[in-house]
Amino acid sequence: MERAVSYAVPLGQMEVFQALQRLHMTIFSQSVSPCGKFLAAGNNYGQIAIFSLSAALSSEAKEESKKPVVTFQAHDGPVYSMVSTDRHLLSAGDGEVKAWLWAEILKKGCKELWRRQPPYRTSLEVPEINALLLVPKENSLILAGGDCQLHTMDLETGAFTRALRGHTDYIHCLALRERSPEVLSGGEDGAVRLWDLRTAKEVQTIEVYKHEECSRPHNGRWIGCLATDSDWMVCGGGPALTLWHLRSSTPTTIFPMRAPQKHVTFYQDLVLTAAGNSCRVDVFTNLGYRAFSLSF
Amino acid sequence: MSSESSKKRKPKVIRSDGAPAEGKRNRSDTEQEGKYYSEEAEVDLRDPGRDYELYKYTCQELQRLMAEIQDLKSRGGKDVAVEIEDRRIQSCVHFMTLKKLNRLAHIRLKKGRDQTHEAKQKVDAYHLQLQNLLYEVMHLQKEITKCLEFKSKHEEIDLVSLEEFYKEAPPDISKAEVTMGDPHQQTLARLDWELEQRKRLAEKYRECLSNKEKILKEIEVKKEYLSSLQPRLNSIMQASLPVQEYLFMPFDQAHKQYETARHLPPPLYVLFVQATAYGQACAHMKSSQPPRQDKTLSVAIEGSVDEAKALFKPPEDSQDDESDSDAEEEQTTKRRRPTLGVQLDDKRKEMLKRHPLSVMLDLKCKDDSVLHLTFYYLMNLNIMTVKAKVTTATELITPISAGDLLSPDSVLSCLYPGDHGKKTPNPANQYQFDKVGILTLRDYVLDLGHPYLWVQKLGGLHFPKEQPQHTVIADHSLSASHMETTMKLLKTRVQSRLALHKQFASLEHGIVPVTSDCQCLFPAKVVSRLVKWVTIAHEDYLELHFTKDIVEAGLAEDTNLYYMALVERGTAKLQAAVVLNPGYSSIPPIFQLCLNWKGEKTNSNDDNIRAMESEVNVCYKELCGPRPSHQLLTNQLQRLCVLLDVYLETDSHDDSVEGPKEFPQEKMCLRLFRGPSRMKPFKYNHPQGFFSHR
Repeated sequence: MERAVSYAVPLGQMEVFQALQRLHMTIFSQSVSPCGKFLAAGNNYGQIAIFSLSAALSSEAKEESKKPVVTFQAHDGPVYSMVSTDRHLLSAGDGEVKAWLWAEILKKGCKELWRRQPPYRTSLEVPEINALLLVPKENSLILAGGDCQLHTMDLETGAFTRALRGHTDYIHCLALRERSPEVLSGGEDGAVRLWDLRTAKEVQTIEVYKHEECSRPHNGRWIGCLATDSDWMVCGGGPALTLWHLRSSTPTTIFPMRAPQKHVTFYQDLVLTAAGNSCRVDVFTNLGYRAFSLSF
Repeated sequence: MSSESSKKRKPKVIRSDGAPAEGKRNRSDTEQEGKYYSEEAEVDLRDPGRDYELYKYTCQELQRLMAEIQDLKSRGGKDVAVEIEDRRIQSCVHFMTLKKLNRLAHIRLKKGRDQTHEAKQKVDAYHLQLQNLLYEVMHLQKEITKCLEFKSKHEEIDLVSLEEFYKEAPPDISKAEVTMGDPHQQTLARLDWELEQRKRLAEKYRECLSNKEKILKEIEVKKEYLSSLQPRLNSIMQASLPVQEYLFMPFDQAHKQYETARHLPPPLYVLFVQATAYGQACAHMKSSQPPRQDKTLSVAIEGSVDEAKALFKPPEDSQDDESDSDAEEEQTTKRRRPTLGVQLDDKRKEMLKRHPLSVMLDLKCKDDSVLHLTFYYLMNLNIMTVKAKVTTATELITPISAGDLLSPDSVLSCLYPGDHGKKTPNPANQYQFDKVGILTLRDYVLDLGHPYLWVQKLGGLHFPKEQPQHTVIADHSLSASHMETTMKLLKTRVQSRLALHKQFASLEHGIVPVTSDCQCLFPAKVVSRLVKWVTIAHEDYLELHFTKDIVEAGLAEDTNLYYMALVERGTAKLQAAVVLNPGYSSIPPIFQLCLNWKGEKTNSNDDNIRAMESEVNVCYKELCGPRPSHQLLTNQLQRLCVLLDVYLETDSHDDSVEGPKEFPQEKMCLRLFRGPSRMKPFKYNHPQGFFSHR
């Protein structure tokens, strides 16, 4: 029987610790730079690593090209979400959002440009920020997470303008409805809520788990991922991945997948979705037919 | 005709005999001239030329007469006779003349001869004289040359130079006024001075000799005195031994050790010196205790010094030995032909031969347990090996799972990362091994000891990989630089192993021994229990389905120790596969979990299991406890129990299923889920006692 080849390098304390860290690392968020050459990834240890996409994807890519160009400790807790504006990288994790300049980020010892903490109600535990959403029309940032509220922050002034309450449990994901400036949020309480940004009120609520077709009680009721195409919405998580027609708030298609979905996006007419526990990215048509799967 | 002539002679000549007449003749010459007719005297008077003419005339006359006679005879007649007669008488006269002349001639001849003879005799005499004289001359000349060549001994003497002579010699010898002018006198004077000097020096020499004799005698006396001193000193030394022991200054012992140390091979010698120095330094540092009592490190040399000396016998002896051994070998070969394998075996044994002396180090730890290290030197391979043994103050009952913890084979494995001690550190040995068919040293380590890299460094041997050197020499500075670290590592190793040993005994009984100062890491009530703790083999660990990540990351080597723990609560069973690195506790044990409850959950299908592993593997530094962090493993196990409690109690209730939750939530948690991965609250906060998320 052939055994796995062990490394020739003797592992001292440092190497063992690093290996264990890597084994238990989870990458929660990623963001591409505005120039498209770099990819930022945030992990559960609060580190952000910047990879050079152009180097890694080029024809002369070596092993070293696939390693990060720079890694730095961004947050004390996990970096749950990241977005990029045209000049900044915004990262958020345990209760704070920090901004980094893309132009400076490659230099060692980069410091955050600013950090902001939305006004939280409780002080016992700092709630996490699970989702960041950019609203380009308003030039503002929406944060949502552990305190069950959506906070809007003006990117120029840094002031927190709104706090949208309604969720009974922490919010997992956000999506922006372009045409009417509405924000969709899905949370642990199993509901997808739509918010009007101008009036700062909740306009619609869809409690997914209450619909029998898509609910899967053994998985729970939490909504892990959201994507919207103005008229349509796809959401999944505990309940099955379902395509909803927003106006009528009815589920139209239920995608046949067992595992709870973590990510979903619309792409042209297709729905791409990935589950955290499998190695596949499934591609579906709107009608629920699985066209093909991209697999690791 | 002589008788005729004598007859015809007138009686003037008195002649009795020929000889006496001649003798008398000389006298008669002198007596009477007139009376005696001396023909000898006549000879002197007559002229030889006239005689010759007379002779010629006579001869002619005779011829004429004869011829006339002849003629007359031939003519014949009567008157002839008278004529003939006449002529006959004439011829007779002529004959007489001729006879006289003949006599005269003879006498002249005789005289002449006599004269010649005399002269010749004279000449001979002169000649002889001349020769004698010449001979004498030659002789004298030789003598002269000899004399001239004669080198007087005095010239061989190196006399002092003239200036010195005039300077040093006293005036009565040098006599300057005389000697200056006369070289002979000068030389004489110098010789005198020389003699004088020599006499003085001879005097001095005699004195010195006698001095020397005296001094030699004194030396003898003193030597005897000293040699009588030696046994007394020895007895004093013997007597002082108890005092030394009392004062903890075993000089004698140390001295003996140093004596034997001289026979150590260089690497062992370096080790011995450095270890002794380190031991003494450590003892010095602990000032609170009585001096040199705290013997945390004691060094001793074991083995046979005679054998060590025998290794370096002078050639003659070794030749004798060789011939003896040859004879022996011949005998053995006659008795039984050794097979190739046996010969190879002998060659292998020869190659792996150890030096008869070995250095023993005893490291004493705080709890009175001792690590005994015996260092050997393999002469042909130029490496050192070590055998280890751990003894404790009290007898240890070895729990089943702790079998390998303190075994001599593995207790020192990987003291430094990767130093497993199964391969020879000297790259040159490979070629030697190939010759005798040794594959690797691993097969022999049980017998010979382990050739760890730190052992070579302590002996000052350095084998650089990049440039293999022909001869590696033991280096003191290398040994010194590694001594302290290695000793500390050895002590921590022994102590951590002993701690584990004790802990395992407890773990096998299902009790996780948490010390009081670590209690704060855990909540007061822990319901999950450890039910099983066994050791598993490396191969078994590799076969487990939930350990693939660790194996792929290269963290599961064959130098590690593997265990399986089982934690239970109710119907839930949590299997934990533990990898224990020899470098525990600086390198943490690694846990891989598999939970059997409502299905099988591992880190590949349940993020919370992964989070639990992370709590134990990555966040181990919180669990180290007070230094020297021997509590790491037990704390990790205890945390595992707590994590299982949290996991089971915070399980989200499935509304569709009927019945109460199996595990009611007793733990205080702020939130049950957090973050996109919906983690459970695994972090325990002390002293508030609630669980939160990281």
